[in-house]
Amino acid sequence: MSLVSSIRTIAVWEMNRSMTTMGRHVLPLAAGLLVLLVLVTAFAAQSGVHMQDGIYRIGIDDPDVARVVTPDNRFATYLDDAPALWENRLAYDIVILHGEVYAADTNKGRAALKTLERDYEGYVSHVATREPDLFAAYPLWIDLQYVKSEIDFLATQSGQQVGAPADARVPPAPSGPVEAVTVPPSAMPVSEDDLREHLAEAGGGHPLDRYTGIISGGSTTDRFRTPSELSAPLPFDALVLVFVFIFPLYFTSQFFMMSVMNERVGRAGEALLSTPVGPSAIIIGKALPYFTIMLLVAAAITLFAGAPLTILFPLIPVILFFLANALIIGMAARSFKELSFVSIFFSTLATSYLFFPTVFANTHVISIISPLTLVVLDIQGDGFTAMEYVYSTALFFATSIILFYVGTVNFREEGLFSEKPLASRLMDFISGGISRGHPHLSLFLLSAFTIPFVFMVQMMTLVLFFNIPMPLSLVLLTVSAAFIEEFAKSIGIYAAARERPGFLTVKNLLVGAVAIGFGFLVGEKLLLFATLAQITESIFGSVLFLSLQVLWMPLLLHIAGVLITGSFLLLWGRRGYGPGLVVASVVHSLYNLYFLTGVLL
Amino acid sequence: MNARHIGLVAKKELLGLSSEKTIVFAILLQVFIAMFSSFLMVGLTAMYDPEAIESYSTVTYGVGYAGADSPLIDEFAKRDDLVLHHMDLDRALTALRDRELAAVVYVPDTPPDAEGPVAITLYLIQNDLQSSVINVKIKEVLQGYEKELREVRADRMTSFPVGLNFPESGGGENFFEFVYGLLIPLLVLLPAIVSAALIIDLITEEYQRQTLETLMSTPVTFAEMVWGKIAACEILVPVQAGVWLLLGVNGIAVDNAAAILLHASAGGLFLILLGALVALHYRERTSAQFIFSTALVVVFLFIMAVPYNPLNLMVRLSVDTAGPVHWLILLLVAGATALLGWATTAYARRVAGITPKTR
Repeated sequence: MSLVSSIRTIAVWEMNRSMTTMGRHVLPLAAGLLVLLVLVTAFAAQSGVHMQDGIYRIGIDDPDVARVVTPDNRFATYLDDAPALWENRLAYDIVILHGEVYAADTNKGRAALKTLERDYEGYVSHVATREPDLFAAYPLWIDLQYVKSEIDFLATQSGQQVGAPADARVPPAPSGPVEAVTVPPSAMPVSEDDLREHLAEAGGGHPLDRYTGIISGGSTTDRFRTPSELSAPLPFDALVLVFVFIFPLYFTSQFFMMSVMNERVGRAGEALLSTPVGPSAIIIGKALPYFTIMLLVAAAITLFAGAPLTILFPLIPVILFFLANALIIGMAARSFKELSFVSIFFSTLATSYLFFPTVFANTHVISIISPLTLVVLDIQGDGFTAMEYVYSTALFFATSIILFYVGTVNFREEGLFSEKPLASRLMDFISGGISRGHPHLSLFLLSAFTIPFVFMVQMMTLVLFFNIPMPLSLVLLTVSAAFIEEFAKSIGIYAAARERPGFLTVKNLLVGAVAIGFGFLVGEKLLLFATLAQITESIFGSVLFLSLQVLWMPLLLHIAGVLITGSFLLLWGRRGYGPGLVVASVVHSLYNLYFLTGVLL
Repeated sequence: MNARHIGLVAKKELLGLSSEKTIVFAILLQVFIAMFSSFLMVGLTAMYDPEAIESYSTVTYGVGYAGADSPLIDEFAKRDDLVLHHMDLDRALTALRDRELAAVVYVPDTPPDAEGPVAITLYLIQNDLQSSVINVKIKEVLQGYEKELREVRADRMTSFPVGLNFPESGGGENFFEFVYGLLIPLLVLLPAIVSAALIIDLITEEYQRQTLETLMSTPVTFAEMVWGKIAACEILVPVQAGVWLLLGVNGIAVDNAAAILLHASAGGLFLILLGALVALHYRERTSAQFIFSTALVVVFLFIMAVPYNPLNLMVRLSVDTAGPVHWLILLLVAGATALLGWATTAYARRVAGITPKTR
């Protein structure tokens, strides 16, 4: 049987089986729930979301003023006469007396004041939009133009996040040649009716408008704004995208996870393993239907939202990544509850890796590390280049392929049906990859294969730490980067020592450390050349990927790190692993800090 | 039903959870969310309001000014964090590209009382954090200018809004609504959802691993077993939610923590019972989780759309604006939960007679 036909057989079989288990009993109820969902959505759209109702108390002495806040149900409004309000002013977050606004001097009072200011702005705009003379109400329009600065990435990242020019009081003198530009015309190229329509749209008021707005993209009139529309886009909109795209994909991957788990419950998969079909065909065949469904789901959502279909390209690696992780979790979990917990935990990690960078989609280049940013950019109509695509998806492709490989290698009887704790099962999976004949070659390959994961975790710490003020963020990055690398390098040695206690001799340790050091360096170099050139040029990048400047120094460092952890293992057994890891990380951090201060000074 | 039997089953399940250490993942999850959102907030505060981080308060930004003179110059003069440089547009844009300026404005020679609008062109650096900061600052300047222009053209207006005088707000974004209106209900809710998913796992596992017959050979009845599992899951809800609320990991002070926990426990029990019913019906994890998750979305959409829903009450309680009405809602939720509990017991007694068969 050829590989293709066996994959097809397995895929068809998987489809049939999941249809029969789900089929008769689930579908009617699911259809009923779907109808309910539509009804409830209609109800929710009608009634609005009542999550933050009445969090602020506001006391007002004039019913006319109260009309300003009535549309906003975050305010619980109390009408009373002025002396009574003043008497009880401590009970309110805001009191409005004779047109004067008084806010409590607390965090909450300030937040309430901010909200009231926004509501008031909206109210004033609402009144102004109905003016017959639009340009009396909106005399000022801003044409916002963005200038591309070539030194963009270095400048924003080398040092301060809010990098102001060194001496703003001295009039600047451009160093290079001055380019001639055409002066903008004083008349606006947009008709008054278009502007009026634009204002009506912007002040629509319904909270959902903000979200459909990011999906529908901007028209030409949106280039011109009034001053109050001139604000940096609220980042939480990206959260909606996560729910719209990522959540259904994650949800579908759960079925694959369960299908893998079901093979293991009561050794049900034994029949499958005894067929002449190889494990790779089984896994690909089982995953294929889910991959197709996920792609179709994503395409359906895209069409429904009216977004360009090109956004499917950045979603493909995300789908693969979810499926690969579903495979490993389904193979490793001991029980259903472990499956649930681990998958919920994993989904949170993955979602935050995808979500948090997109918050900075319009403000910072670091955001490109998430494929979801490409989705945001594409929906905005900015598009993305092939280079950006490679840059943000390479890690997802690499980790998915490696995880699928690990799954395939361990898709055997002893890999599937043993009852062991999660950590030691994962260790089994890793030591399953270490060949007995050529252990050092395996260690070399293993440490090269850990590189995409190391980068992914380091990227996560980068996202996490780049918000913190400067010196602290660099130190935290250095230490965590060192720890992650030392941990990744030690996995091979630890797995080998655990599997075969006799393996760990002085000679084997030395050779193994050299193999791991080489593997790590080779993997690092390969991946970096392929993708991460952009990030490595920033100062944060140089902390993470410091070891690229000279070749023999980092090689020695990598080998030394493994030797330290390995010696602890050799001397004190598995108890020595933790302390060894800590010592190796400290040495590694000191090395990094030494070079970093050299770079900085 | 025998309370001691229920206690025994609950204890067994809790021990199983702690020996698998999976509960650690659930706690890690909450810590992670709390930690990440606080990091996010530090970053966002710095982005929208650089003054929030003290060291940035003395930073001044250079702004290039090109085109005709206008009252906008006076508006800029009121700010000490923005320094205006008069220059030609092309020179200014080159300086902006070299990052010697933070922004450039071009003002046409439209007189303030003209028929048409004053169309100002604002140039910023693309893809840059600094642009977001400068955006906020220049917005304030331009709003001042807009107000002035509106006054000049006031005689052309027909209706006037009610006037309000705001105190100096100190500027800046604050994340009060994000923390109390979104993060806290999310973190309190999460344990309830996790527990509801857990009850499905616990019940379907007995069926799918065929361990039910062994369990039924003990004096424990089927309904007692179900309630034991429900009890184990329910205990986790206030414990998990409480750990987060009381520890105040983020330094977020929460009022009425006890009342919030009561709401969370009642709502959590409702979800757990719903999960138990679905699991008893399907006896197979994939189907049960699928139906339950879909039902969960329906339930939540519905609840969020109802005024005075328990989530809203948790938000109100945490900022101390709830009022005694929340006890009434709590009573209603508890009543609905009791009804569902009765239904679960009845259903468990009914299916107990049917011998489990594998599908």
